Amino acid sequence: MDLELSEEEAALRDNVRAVLASICPPAVVRAAYEGKGDPASVWARMVELDWPALAIPERHGGLGMGFVEVALVAEEIGRAVVPGPFLATVTEFAPAVQELGGDGPLAAELLGRVAAGDTTGTVALAEGGRWEPAAVVATAQPAGGGWVLQGAKDAVLDGAEAGEAVVVARAARTSGAEGLGAFVVPRADLAATPRTVIDPTLPLADLVLDGVAVPADRVLAEPGAAGVAEALDRAGQQAIVALAASTVGACRAIFERTVEYAKDRVQFGRPIGSFQALKHRMADMYLAVERATSLVWFAALAIAEDDPRRAEAASMAKAAAGECQRLVVQDGLQLHGGIGMTWENDLHFLLKRALSGDALYGNAVHHRSRLARMLGLLPQGRIEEVVA
Amino acid sequence: MKLSFGDEVEAFRQEFLAWLAENRPSAEEMAAEPAISSAHVPGWAGRWARRLFDAGWLVPGWPTERGGRNAGPVETLVYLEELTKAGVPRTTNPQGLGIVAPSILDYGSEEQIRDYAMPILRGEKSACLGMSEPGAGSDLASLSTRAVLDGDRIVIDGQKVWTSGANDADFCFLFCRTNPEAPKHKGISVVLVDMATPGITVRPLAEIAKPEHPDLNEVFLSEVVVPRENLVGKLNDGWAMANGSLAHERGMVWLSFVVTLEEDIAAVLAEAPAALERLAPAERAVVADGLVASAIDSAAARCLGYRGFAKLVRGGSAPEQALMKAYTSEAKRRLARRAAELGTDHTVDIGSTAASDPTWIERYFVSFGGTISAGSSEIQRNIIAEKVLGLPR
Repeated sequence: MDLELSEEEAALRDNVRAVLASICPPAVVRAAYEGKGDPASVWARMVELDWPALAIPERHGGLGMGFVEVALVAEEIGRAVVPGPFLATVTEFAPAVQELGGDGPLAAELLGRVAAGDTTGTVALAEGGRWEPAAVVATAQPAGGGWVLQGAKDAVLDGAEAGEAVVVARAARTSGAEGLGAFVVPRADLAATPRTVIDPTLPLADLVLDGVAVPADRVLAEPGAAGVAEALDRAGQQAIVALAASTVGACRAIFERTVEYAKDRVQFGRPIGSFQALKHRMADMYLAVERATSLVWFAALAIAEDDPRRAEAASMAKAAAGECQRLVVQDGLQLHGGIGMTWENDLHFLLKRALSGDALYGNAVHHRSRLARMLGLLPQGRIEEVVA
Repeated sequence: MKLSFGDEVEAFRQEFLAWLAENRPSAEEMAAEPAISSAHVPGWAGRWARRLFDAGWLVPGWPTERGGRNAGPVETLVYLEELTKAGVPRTTNPQGLGIVAPSILDYGSEEQIRDYAMPILRGEKSACLGMSEPGAGSDLASLSTRAVLDGDRIVIDGQKVWTSGANDADFCFLFCRTNPEAPKHKGISVVLVDMATPGITVRPLAEIAKPEHPDLNEVFLSEVVVPRENLVGKLNDGWAMANGSLAHERGMVWLSFVVTLEEDIAAVLAEAPAALERLAPAERAVVADGLVASAIDSAAARCLGYRGFAKLVRGGSAPEQALMKAYTSEAKRRLARRAAELGTDHTVDIGSTAASDPTWIERYFVSFGGTISAGSSEIQRNIIAEKVLGLPR
């Protein structure tokens, strides 16, 4: 296993970092926070640079790169606290369309539009704070040649902004992995309530599906079709690892700023970074960031090479990224002292981004519980049922 | 990034595996005469070292004229990985093979190579490493064991402690002070001392787990006389060897930490489901979460190791190995404690005889050897902070 960036991968990362420094400097993030900016301009520039097309197959007008490249870009997106539709569109929507829609005409149309920058998208999956497809209770009933969706969805990233949403729902009277289906619904047809969240660069919305009608040609996967649960898992792994990468990117930036601050800030006649109590905490932050980065890269590689370890690797990456942000957010802010508490210092954008990245698509606790099941330590099923 | 190495490396792996299957010592042979200290070379281990060396498989990364096969770092990694997987120790005298022999080859005279380094490689002699002293542990450069040059002799007085395998070793690679006037790093030399030399007293230190099989020792040196030609390298140039050899060792040492951590977690995961059955449901969720954390630790250790290794291969810096040393040794310690606690009231059980396999609680205590020796976790964090992060001293 060669787990270091190749020259091409390093060049891609450096290029993305340089571009983001120019199109999304801290002033743009601040403007997004203060509701003054125009995040659409950042996305427009990404579209010009073909970033939405990154991992879309060439036959659909994409660049045909692999998931490692997607994860590297996601890491930089987190590092620069980039607002806008990249994560939801490129790492949630496009993989879901591709995994669920296969070579069908709907998938071809949607992937082509994403690659061309003509639409943004997201995935509406979670319900009641639960992120595994088996927990979906929203239903899809056949009606007049199409389908009608009923239910509610939580915490949909860009749920009030994305042009199209892949909505996961199941056939009535099915449960678990059986009967799952997926539908493509335009924003206009969804009742989205934006949530007031701590990080406006990762905007969330709750959706109510009150008899949403979906025509037959917008069905990505019919409820009960073969392989839907597996396709949802495979797409979910990509969303999870990209989000983990983005969280780790924010964590690394916090860590680097903290080390620089500790070198500059002088108290008692010496830089505070010379005190061993602080050195050891920064060494632990470094360890947490490197640990999470390594697991994220391994998971990205497992997805890119379609290795059987991909599900386990994805949950480990997400759990490690969550554990990393806990430590780095806490000690990064603590070591900055009072200046880190101020709105005018840019640190808080990173803190909030890192923290929000853990909360989506299952936090560290959730992914550790998934791993406990994969490793045979807890029975399958809901924890309430398991411990009953 | 790639999940697998190329075809050439895989061919190398197959070549070694074929040789290993033909030549490895059997499990019965090893179990009948286990090595009881880190300088004890049982009969099978001596024969095994010889077979490895003669076939060019003891140190494949070395040049052919030194008995290697010019293997690159990736091949060497594959070799170590397969050897560990097969459950065969590469040596029962790790400090001899890993530090003493290469240091003598790098710095020693032809005679020292012939009389000390080569016999280690052939499994004919074993070595201990005389570094720590009562007043010089983490601050090794403060060591005060004196070596005085007196014509063609060197006279040594002092005391070493924590000397692994001194109770079984044939000779000691001894760090001593040869210039008390110079700054502390600049007055240290290395001398080869046969352990049978008059004036040496070895007192084994029974340890808190398995006191019957001590590996750590106190070594008292009183007017110990050795010939001047036993000085290794230049006078007062010993600190370079302390630094060089330890850094060299850490280049690959992470792998055995990773593989043994993986073996440990595999063993715990195998016994865990039955143990978890005995727990109340809420306890079960908590305990399972701890084991998951260890499983993540283990996977992360492998990924971290391979990343650091890839950097090393591409000419990156070695100080990052400090991270691996601290991380893996602490992960092993956490796992041993969690595994012990899995047994609830059986947490405190230990083997009924000295020959019993160590239980998890015994392994927990043994694991402190990893977090304390060869630069404690605290020293590793200092190294990370200063050498990797560039924080001021």
